[in-house]
Amino acid sequence: MQITSRRKTAATFIVLGACSVGLALALNITWVIRWREVGMAVLGFLFFGFIMAGVTLNTIFLVREIRRNEQHDSFINAMTHELKTPIASIRLYLETLQSRNLDEAQRTNFYRIMLEDTDRLLGTVEQVLRAGKTSHKPERRNWKQFDIGELARECVELARTRHHLDAEAVEFHDHAVGSEENRVNGEAEELSAAISNVLDNAVKYSTSPVRVRVEVLAEGAHVLVRVKDHGVGIPPPELKRIFRRFYRVPQRIKARVKGTGLGLFIVRSVARHHGGDAYASSEGEGLGATVTIKIPRVYNR
Amino acid sequence: MSRILVVEDELHLAQGLQFNLEAEGHEVTAVESGEAALQLLLTEKVPFEAVVLDVMLPGCDGFTVATELRKARNYVPILMLTARSRPEDVLKGFESGTDDYLPKPFDLSILIARIRGLLRRTAWMQHERPAETAVAAGGNETEIHHFGKRVIDLTNLELRDGDEVVRLTLMEVDLLRYFIRNAGRVISRKEILDEVWGLREDTDTRAIDNFVVRLRRYIEEEPSHPRRLVTARGVGYRFVEEPAKEE
Repeated sequence: MQITSRRKTAATFIVLGACSVGLALALNITWVIRWREVGMAVLGFLFFGFIMAGVTLNTIFLVREIRRNEQHDSFINAMTHELKTPIASIRLYLETLQSRNLDEAQRTNFYRIMLEDTDRLLGTVEQVLRAGKTSHKPERRNWKQFDIGELARECVELARTRHHLDAEAVEFHDHAVGSEENRVNGEAEELSAAISNVLDNAVKYSTSPVRVRVEVLAEGAHVLVRVKDHGVGIPPPELKRIFRRFYRVPQRIKARVKGTGLGLFIVRSVARHHGGDAYASSEGEGLGATVTIKIPRVYNR
Repeated sequence: MSRILVVEDELHLAQGLQFNLEAEGHEVTAVESGEAALQLLLTEKVPFEAVVLDVMLPGCDGFTVATELRKARNYVPILMLTARSRPEDVLKGFESGTDDYLPKPFDLSILIARIRGLLRRTAWMQHERPAETAVAAGGNETEIHHFGKRVIDLTNLELRDGDEVVRLTLMEVDLLRYFIRNAGRVISRKEILDEVWGLREDTDTRAIDNFVVRLRRYIEEEPSHPRRLVTARGVGYRFVEEPAKEE
């Protein structure tokens, strides 16, 4: 991240430097050779063009750099919140257990709350570690063949439990249950994390009541896992950006919907590592969104 | 028993805080958003003795809630509770009008002690202070002084100028009260530090000059030509009860 941004800053300066050198040469050469005025005018236009291009590039990179910094800031804030909140909660309940006389029911309730908090903490930590891992090349020797339809069904069941939803709120359709069509080659744990991220987003950005539909279907040489929600939707210009690292739709940041900006980045990285891709579509704001993970099928290889 | 409002969107924390504050004998209301808090405090005017306020709330955040409350002249004591502990965040908290700031994760006993501190401050302001001044002034009446058109109510810490009401700080009121009680006598800066604020002698005495400038703005018609709170050069200040009419 830092390296690429430095490279870009360096490029800016190189362009600017080249322009200045060009300008100096132009002034000297025209003075020595005494070209006709027309020639000088052409050269002048040319180098003015260069300078303008340099200035424009400089501005573009500057704006990008500022945006990147903002994203970093909001990521750090979100991360601080996501890490400290469950710790604060666990600590509060531990101190309560330590300092007050409680009956059995209260104790059990507090233990349950603390366990949920550790799960949340673990989830955040795993998310960060996974985001760090995705920059490395995947190790194919851990790869196995498995049924992605089966995996998606497990993810859906986990999501239902995690968000306390019933089968009606999160529907699941596998168009080729148990058939060879669903077999893919890869790391089940990674793909499961990717599918869970998409499901969590679908629930998080849903307006109540939650209505999410998950489909597994074959399309050409790929299997698609498609998650469709009826939530806040995604404005068209953001459809691609949301897969970038740390990127969050500005309206969501403003509305303080919690998130780190890592979820969909992980989804896309995992899909690409498996030779596939991930993409989103939406009818517009307030009309829900569909996120699709596309993975190559085994028997086509 | 006091009524406490907990504004926290993290359900687990809100429940834990509510449980503990109730165990301390308070009556607790918990809400999940800044809008809900403002609705209760400003629109419905529910009287709370203290507010525990989270900063990162969905929609209107804690800083905004504190600012809105103070703008609407609601001076309920606020304890801000937040995951952000960088100095600039703490400063932003205090600027928005909070009384205390506690970073998460916090120590339960410290949280309870701080809330108790805020409640105690309110109790002192409401009961013990006026009683003490009433005895000292030799009567039961609230301490009200007139300075031209302006009225200063030392008991309720406010200055009224027509329809305008200005809140005074406790330190300003203490100093003014001391001047009034010792009218006519020259009071040294050292005496002010010792007797009025109970501060140590090595405190910078120029702080007093700043306070006097503020008091002059409250009670003088022309603060640049003081006639009530006059400077005794090289020593301190003298309060004149009935300044001579200007020729």
